[in-house]
Amino acid sequence: MEFAAFATHAAEIEAEPADLEIVDLVTDLFEDAGDADDDLAILARFVQGRVFPAWDSTTLDIGPRSCYEAIARAAGQNVSAADVEDDLAEVGEIGAVAAGYEFGGQQGLGAFTGGGSANDLTVREVHETLVDLATAEGSGSQDRKVDLLFSLFNRCSSEEACYLARIVLSEMRIGVGEGTVRDAIAAAFDVPVDRVERALQVSNDYGRVAVVAREEGLEGLDALDLEIGRPVQAMLAQAGTVTDALESWEEAAVEWKYDGARVQLHYDGAETTVFSRNMENVTDALPEVVEFAAEHLEEPVILDGEVVAVDDAGDPLPFQEVLRRFRRKHDVAKAREDVAVEPVFFDCLHVAGEDLLDEPLVDRHARLESLLSDEGLSTLWLTDDTAKIEEIDADALESGHEGIMLKDPDSAYSPGRRGKHWLKRKPDVETLDLVVTGAEWGEGRRATFLGTFLLSVRDGDSFETIGKVATGITDERLAELTDRLEAHIRTEEGQTVELEPAVVFEVGYEEIQSSPTYSAGYALRFPRFLGVREDKGPEDAETLERVLELQGSQ
Amino acid sequence: MFKAIVSAETLSSTLDSVSVLVDECKIHLEEDGLQIRAVDPANVGMVDLSLEAAAFESYEADGGLIGVDLSRLEDIAGMAESGQLVQLELDEETRKLHIQIDGLEYTLALIDPDSIRQEPDIPDLDLPAEVILEGKDINRSVKAADMVSDHIALGVDDADEFFYVNAEGDTDDVHLELTPDDLIDLQVGSAHSLFSLDYLKDMNKAIPTDTEVTLELGEEFPIKMHFGFAEGQGQVTYMLAPRIQSD
Repeated sequence: MEFAAFATHAAEIEAEPADLEIVDLVTDLFEDAGDADDDLAILARFVQGRVFPAWDSTTLDIGPRSCYEAIARAAGQNVSAADVEDDLAEVGEIGAVAAGYEFGGQQGLGAFTGGGSANDLTVREVHETLVDLATAEGSGSQDRKVDLLFSLFNRCSSEEACYLARIVLSEMRIGVGEGTVRDAIAAAFDVPVDRVERALQVSNDYGRVAVVAREEGLEGLDALDLEIGRPVQAMLAQAGTVTDALESWEEAAVEWKYDGARVQLHYDGAETTVFSRNMENVTDALPEVVEFAAEHLEEPVILDGEVVAVDDAGDPLPFQEVLRRFRRKHDVAKAREDVAVEPVFFDCLHVAGEDLLDEPLVDRHARLESLLSDEGLSTLWLTDDTAKIEEIDADALESGHEGIMLKDPDSAYSPGRRGKHWLKRKPDVETLDLVVTGAEWGEGRRATFLGTFLLSVRDGDSFETIGKVATGITDERLAELTDRLEAHIRTEEGQTVELEPAVVFEVGYEEIQSSPTYSAGYALRFPRFLGVREDKGPEDAETLERVLELQGSQ
Repeated sequence: MFKAIVSAETLSSTLDSVSVLVDECKIHLEEDGLQIRAVDPANVGMVDLSLEAAAFESYEADGGLIGVDLSRLEDIAGMAESGQLVQLELDEETRKLHIQIDGLEYTLALIDPDSIRQEPDIPDLDLPAEVILEGKDINRSVKAADMVSDHIALGVDDADEFFYVNAEGDTDDVHLELTPDDLIDLQVGSAHSLFSLDYLKDMNKAIPTDTEVTLELGEEFPIKMHFGFAEGQGQVTYMLAPRIQSD
């Protein structure tokens, strides 16, 4: 297809406000693509403003300034990059700026070889030149990129220049999203949308899926599989609560939410490749992960997990430390000495030629367990017991991680989807300052510590109980609290202790429910201990009135 | 088979003449000398270079083709001191070029010639005007034009018999006339064409100031520039397509 024809399609699409009509227009574009495979694949990407498949993290690596320079050179006499920049400041959008110039003033030598005037620019030529541009590297490569881009702009009409500039600067913005392209592929080649969706998920390549849909139909689409070395988008979680999870599923699969950075490990039986969440190849930056694979893996696999930065004692370090490692290109060995990282895997997408995306989570996890035994494996608990979930959450926090993930045990792995099958436990919306009016002696190792704390709100001059915080406190912290609270013990009966109101805890929670269990008539769902309010006395604690307000506003 | 010894100056001149237009090129290793032909990505500027076997201290070749990264090779040639000789030998098996400068040995990985842009067809142009001048006058013309504009018009006044340079900027203009007294030779004909200084500046860099350069010009036609180097045993021809004149 000629690039001019693509530009005309793009302009029509841009002018169309209605989503459904846009799908029709993109469908037309795909139907008009012509027989060459390349063209359709390129169009499926260009229409989204992409040059490379989604799994390929190659970029053009050209700065806006270089693009302005190329436009300026093609634009004619005495237009400078600064002029283009000034226009951009005025017009606000590079496509319109580029379209405002008259290109083609520079003739090519081809015009004088007797072969007639230069041919019209084709979609494939634009693509090939952009690929050349992306691969230019080393000294002088920015100049070469400008030369290549100039060679394209010089052959552009206004409309072509508009969309070329936008593709180059990744500012396509004609209202075509991934869903649009998916629907258009389905409509153009008469295949079901959900099968296109699946094919897109496993291949992560809109161009290829479009071509396969056209050439091989449904059969071809269904035959597309994950490929080791070609990253897929990570499945994502949305915020949710324990209540949500247990209401939706009989049991929840619970795991720690690591304070790390997402990685996808591809191991082909010999070589390991590691990709970041945005599918960048980060293999060289993370030798620990490569070593991990060499040591623990035998069969070809694709694993999903996190890398966590750890200190010398193996305790997790903040997320920023991991990021520092990800960005490291040189002196990786030195960086590794400063901050070591460890992988933890929680999902398994592929084992030895078999795609597991459609298997239930628990089965995938079982496969993962059999691959890794215990090393680098994120534990998955299956439970419907809120107290158990609370405990896992508390342990995760205590270990320096972010809390917990709640997953639907039966769910498939949906790449790129932020769905309700994976929930990251919502951070507390609100915290309450509550008085400790009771406690329980712990058991076993913690027998000498006050462990579970009874919390109360103020109601006039009296205190009414509203919930307990049981865990989430380290031994050290428990010893310290026990010291402080022992002085306030009024009565003891078995393990149960009544305390005079003196110490105030800051407590997070998921929601407030009415409850006969506590004297306030309300209970906190999933309360968590956040700290002692040293600055507050019992008289400053939250009132029942306030709790009623909060409950009413839920 | 390719094995040659050449002076560092000759090698550098050869490479510089080509690298002003392209980063990579194919080199034909013919029995009677080297041949390089290349065109820039926009197909606007072209270079056609030959270096006779006689320009080398010793030269043996049997018609091979290699692809090279010019800046790499220029860097290596730059390691030689003035007057030093550079020995080049192609290893056919590894497709590497062994380069030796005194005790310095460098093994250069070659580029697959198929991955390099196709060599251009040379337009067969019959250009009416011919101007022969010294390299320094081209340098002066280009410099003068560059002060005010990014374009340069070159022409010959066939009535009054002089060669001229025009450059129009947004505010300022430059005009330069060279009469037959200033030139080595002038063959008048109707000629006036506009060129991008981006290209001409680059080509000018490779033209020695003390060399005799022949310009061939036409009416809205490409310009051809010939000059010799390596004591006349090397020949460079540049060709540059014109810009369409807007008014």
